[in-house]
Amino acid sequence: MSESHPDHLHPRPNLQSRISTPGSKNEVMVSHGRAPWYGPDGKNIEAYVVGIAGGSASGKTSVARAILSALNYVPTVLILSQDSFYNAHTDEEIELAFNNDLDLDHPNAIDSALFAKCLMDLKQGKATEIPTYSFVHHQRMPEKKYIYGASVIIVEGIMALQSPELRSLYDLKVFVNCDSDLMLARRIKRDVKERGRDVDGILDQYLRFVKSSYDNFVQPSSRYADIIVPGSSNQLAIELLVDHVKRQLDTRSLRFRKQLAQMGEDETKLRAPNGDEPLDKQVILLEQTNQLLGLMTILRDRTTSRGDFIFYADRLSTIVVEKALTLIPCKPKTIRTPLGLDYQGLGGDDNLVGISILRSGGPFSHGLRRVIRDVPIGGMLIQSDPKTGEPLLLKSDLPHSVKSTETSGDVKVLLLDSQMGTGAAALMAIRVLLDHGVLESNIIFLTYLIAKQALHSVLRAFPTIHIVTAAIDPKLDEMHIPYNRSTLVLGESAGEADFAIRLVDESDRDHGVDKDQEKPDNRDGLKSEKELGAEKFRIPIKKDMETLKFSRSRAGRDERVGEKRAWVISPGMGHIGDRYYM
Amino acid sequence: MSSPTPTTTCLPASGTNVNKAHLPEGALVLAPTRQLQSLLTIIRDEKTQRGDFVFTSDRIIRLLVEEGLNHLPVVPKNVITPVGKEYEGVSFQGRICGVSIMRAGEAMEAGLRDCCRSVRIGKILIQRDEETFQPKLFYAKLPDDISQRFVLLLDPMLATGGSCLKAIEVLIDHGVQEEKILFLNLIASPEGIKNVCTRFPKLRLITAWVDEGLDSNSYIVPGLGDFGDRYFL
Repeated sequence: MSESHPDHLHPRPNLQSRISTPGSKNEVMVSHGRAPWYGPDGKNIEAYVVGIAGGSASGKTSVARAILSALNYVPTVLILSQDSFYNAHTDEEIELAFNNDLDLDHPNAIDSALFAKCLMDLKQGKATEIPTYSFVHHQRMPEKKYIYGASVIIVEGIMALQSPELRSLYDLKVFVNCDSDLMLARRIKRDVKERGRDVDGILDQYLRFVKSSYDNFVQPSSRYADIIVPGSSNQLAIELLVDHVKRQLDTRSLRFRKQLAQMGEDETKLRAPNGDEPLDKQVILLEQTNQLLGLMTILRDRTTSRGDFIFYADRLSTIVVEKALTLIPCKPKTIRTPLGLDYQGLGGDDNLVGISILRSGGPFSHGLRRVIRDVPIGGMLIQSDPKTGEPLLLKSDLPHSVKSTETSGDVKVLLLDSQMGTGAAALMAIRVLLDHGVLESNIIFLTYLIAKQALHSVLRAFPTIHIVTAAIDPKLDEMHIPYNRSTLVLGESAGEADFAIRLVDESDRDHGVDKDQEKPDNRDGLKSEKELGAEKFRIPIKKDMETLKFSRSRAGRDERVGEKRAWVISPGMGHIGDRYYM
Repeated sequence: MSSPTPTTTCLPASGTNVNKAHLPEGALVLAPTRQLQSLLTIIRDEKTQRGDFVFTSDRIIRLLVEEGLNHLPVVPKNVITPVGKEYEGVSFQGRICGVSIMRAGEAMEAGLRDCCRSVRIGKILIQRDEETFQPKLFYAKLPDDISQRFVLLLDPMLATGGSCLKAIEVLIDHGVQEEKILFLNLIASPEGIKNVCTRFPKLRLITAWVDEGLDSNSYIVPGLGDFGDRYFL
């Protein structure tokens, strides 16, 4: 196991490739970004786990890879190899290992408790750290590997079906069955070629350990398998397997930004028929002083020049950060003044980090650095999927204190974004932090502007976070903006994290208008239609776009002029990332 | 959103000072949050090095400036947002300028410019006259149209208030209206506040903290030493 890329599990934009080093069995497939892996209630949906067992050189890895490449539309698939979880050895055992006398083919050679714990974490969507085992040193290495964010996990190893703890975590158990002589032939070829061993040594080890292990442990575990796949000429079996996995995944994936907006709207009406309600105590709205209102007026004005916008955005973010910091507890500290007097004061908190939701959280990190010079600032790139309007996690760079499960429980996080419209990006960012073990009550969300609906969506899912904002706007409107697909790039022109933009094709649009005249779709009943201009008309959401499916890449949908739809806060400030950066 | 008031706001009566010193109506103290207390702890500490001292005092000064700016008048102004909606906002009315009392007051200019880009800043040098022991004006360079502006007067430490009173006299001599002066100050003594606010009741004084009092050398205790020296030298 020699995976060298530390952030290998993070999805990258527009990248569909295997990231692995030769000989590595742990492998991650990443593609265009990770769609929500949790429901509107903020609770994680468990990852889908496939366990693949079979004898050594039976073809487990090629079955795993075949599944992997068939699932290339799924953002993150992880192959977890049993090899990482060999026990740490004593000096005597290491000596045996160097003489080929150590039995690594016995179930006890594997740290199944740690294996099950790591797999459980990953299945529940949490970040985890797995051990690394070196076949060169025959020992577990001190460094651990950080893994986060797989929607599908494939576990492979000769003992994968052996321990009941592991078996209970699999959604699908596969056994790869292969003739003993075929496995031995493959093993000899592989070990001579890849591991530089001689045939005598291989056969000696085979007869002493491998054969008896296979007969006593591996082969009998096939009775736990849901499906037994032949180790060669298995094309048809793999196709069946992959079809099953795809069907399972389709029922788990989510589509919910629109649902969020709708739910927030309903709740707003429910709670406050007259549109006036007391703020949740978790929400800190800056005092609406003349100066603040004047600042907001400049920032909201569409005629404000870019220079002014940047200056006042920086100034406002500084004020918001100062306000947020008053929520952070301090410890008593006694110091001596230059006059030689003791003074009982307060000392700050060292466990503070900032995390900005990129790109629109960028302006805030400037304000944060003006207030705390040396605060670590992490970033999460969350953008809307132009096809669906869903938020996608494209990358997360988190400070060390958040990545390590030992320290993340004490970290206080200032989560930065310029506005919160539907709350979809905020939910995703908060979910990432919780998955790393950050306490919900230690998260403070900082922003310029919030739509009332988003407050409800976010606080319903995460009732103990704090939100500090300069303004709360009453409405969230769906805007319809024409676009030309040839100019479209995921991310930049598609929309900022919470300025969700979704694209509708010309063909869909015509179809939709016709349908609309006959039968209005009441699921699309947000209030903006009558305010929309002549070229912005209402389109019902087609039912099949709302079904719960991963975004598989669809061919033949390009080169047409279509329409972007965006949830925008009203009256709002426009696209803050664009106004600040472009 | 609360409706913007078109006229100058009255300064609210303060009562937030931790030492319970009685404060006159024209004086305002920042809310004593834990953050503010830990910031003051840093700049009071004799072991704090210049980098931290400068950074931390700039942070407090920005809070003071923001609070000061809240007391400037605004008028209603409606704008159209980028999404095409109308927003009922306000716009700042009246022009401002800064005036720093040299040399410690110059330390507050960076914080002022952080909040008010390219604001004009005048300077006043006042020192104790060797013969009369009274504060004496040595130098004043002020914007020509200062009489039409609101003035943010900058001096970080208010001990007896002698040089501050002199500086206010200079401003009034230049035609500035008393109620258009906002005096921004980091640490004040109760005596200093009383002297300034009694003499100029219409002026508004905004300070981050009120300390216990003055020692026999008229230094603020517990104080933080000589602000200008620690910031500049």
